[in-house]
Amino acid sequence: MTDTAIEAAALGKRFGWRQKGWALRDCTLRLPVGRVCAVVGPNGAGKSTLLAHAAGLLAPTEGGISVLGTTPSAARERMAYVAQDKPLYPQLTVAETLRMGAELNPRRWDAAVAERIVEEGGLDFGSKIRSLSGGQRTRVALALALGKRPELLLLDEPMADLDPLARHQLMGTLLADSAEHGTTVVMSSHVVAELEGSCDHLFLLGGGRVRLAGPLDALIAAHTLVTGPTGDLAPHTVVESRTTGRQITALIRPEGRIAAGWQTAEPSLEELVLAHLRAPGAPALTLTDEGDADNSRGGNGGDDDGETNGTRTHGASV
Amino acid sequence: MSAVTVVSAGTSGRRPAHPARALARAVLRPHQSALWFWGLLVALGGGGLLWAAGPGYDAVWDAYLKSNCREADYCDMGPAYQHYDLVVGLAPAALTVAPLLIGAWAGASLIGRELESGTAKLAWTQSVTPARWLAAKLAVPAALIMSGTVLLTLLNRLVWWREERLRQAVGTRDWFDFTTFTGNGTLATAYALFALAVGVVAGLLLRRSLPALAAGFAGTAALMAVLQANRHHLWPVTEVRAAASEPLWTGMLVDRGIITASGDRISNSLCEDFDCGRSDVVGYWAQSHPSAHFWPLQLVETGIVLAVTALLVPAAFHLLRRRTGGAA
Repeated sequence: MTDTAIEAAALGKRFGWRQKGWALRDCTLRLPVGRVCAVVGPNGAGKSTLLAHAAGLLAPTEGGISVLGTTPSAARERMAYVAQDKPLYPQLTVAETLRMGAELNPRRWDAAVAERIVEEGGLDFGSKIRSLSGGQRTRVALALALGKRPELLLLDEPMADLDPLARHQLMGTLLADSAEHGTTVVMSSHVVAELEGSCDHLFLLGGGRVRLAGPLDALIAAHTLVTGPTGDLAPHTVVESRTTGRQITALIRPEGRIAAGWQTAEPSLEELVLAHLRAPGAPALTLTDEGDADNSRGGNGGDDDGETNGTRTHGASV
Repeated sequence: MSAVTVVSAGTSGRRPAHPARALARAVLRPHQSALWFWGLLVALGGGGLLWAAGPGYDAVWDAYLKSNCREADYCDMGPAYQHYDLVVGLAPAALTVAPLLIGAWAGASLIGRELESGTAKLAWTQSVTPARWLAAKLAVPAALIMSGTVLLTLLNRLVWWREERLRQAVGTRDWFDFTTFTGNGTLATAYALFALAVGVVAGLLLRRSLPALAAGFAGTAALMAVLQANRHHLWPVTEVRAAASEPLWTGMLVDRGIITASGDRISNSLCEDFDCGRSDVVGYWAQSHPSAHFWPLQLVETGIVLAVTALLVPAAFHLLRRRTGGAA
């Protein structure tokens, strides 16, 4: 058994032969099992490319990725993937779609789980997929994914077509399933609000590179939102700062004590993400779990990690 | 009987199926309409040919006897023959056109649409590998296509065997007519399998249904046209010569001409008269394929078609592997 759900090493993917066609570059990250992980980033950040690699649908141009301790294709049976456009066969009925899930996953299929998710949405098993709304289709796609009883669930923009009520309900189902069976869930989104409160791990991608990676609480703890009169914020790493009159508001990674005179606050997930998106030049930061035996750099060296990562990232981009 | 895999308790009440059979069903289910169409085509063609081989032919033969026709002359056999001729003409024509439809369908519906709409991603992230998915996509339609074409071909041959006296008497059909030649041997099946393979490769290559539809159709049509045009080269011709007048040849005429005094052989196929306006003609020749060449020609062409098919199948798997990151 392994305690790593996804591990990417310098993963890179280029579409076509253009030098600028890199969808993902130098992506190194690790996700322990049992986490609910958000993959966040603007459109074109490489979120879908990362998930498709994990699902074994794309071959890396460089680097590699392993899933559940093995190759993505060897882990196929133990993971489920829902693509962004929720592809289903439009000419099949809901019942036929679920039957297909049973036929294609003969060793794992749990019809009760899949049927419950469909029933919760008030869907008729006899209706054709092509007659369903986008949200209903998402529900069937999720039923198909969860019916497989996956150890790793990869969801690409899962909630985009759902109304707030259905989103809340499906997210509840997902999280309950994850908690009950220890399923690792990875979901991408460009709507940060939809992830707040439901995930405990974060990958922030931008421009095909990793900007932030690590347990959510550790990432938030590594950052401080400071407000004060304009002044020098050294030696802290400034992610982003904005000046309003004589006031400055900045998101920093503190290096040591913050001088008196600054008001400090813990940033929210949204503030953390938005600050990094607004400041593409900010150094990347990768944190790992405390006491994680797999990683020699370990716990409190997070800031150092950030510096080395940042330096390397910049070096590579020149 | 087959081993039964225990599936976790389900409320759907379906009995657990053998994985391979379940995969076949899963592959077929989205293509129910195509399956119905093929089944209907085979049933109609088969029914028509059975009728033609039985009561249809008997009625024509009766009409022929009553008409007091002399051999090989024009003969009015009335509506009995018209109905018979329609069925006996349509069935081989359907067998000849079927590969074109199969190529278009395999490119567009079987593969192209799956890649275009993303349902292939759905299939590839279930428990079966993409390679097994493609193997099922090739094997299941191939089995259904083969059973249909083989059945129709056998019935075509039954009619052909039954109507031999009529053919000799009235000369209704020649064995080398395009559709007759295709529908009476192994070629219809070979072309249908080739069409499936070329459609699958087109779908994997183009990844969109409409271009793959065109490519599957065109690829099949191209091979059929090229081989049809060069069919007579596939087996050595039989040559007959005569000194005084044109020699009597039988079967499919390939070429004919004159022999001049200097010993030159000149084809007169483009000339207006037999002698090509020459006065030094000392003999005539004709090259043809007699009906005994039916099976050699048929089998060589079948071999070529199947060889190309055998190259396309690994190409399809190679394309798939390149798309899905070397997934086994």
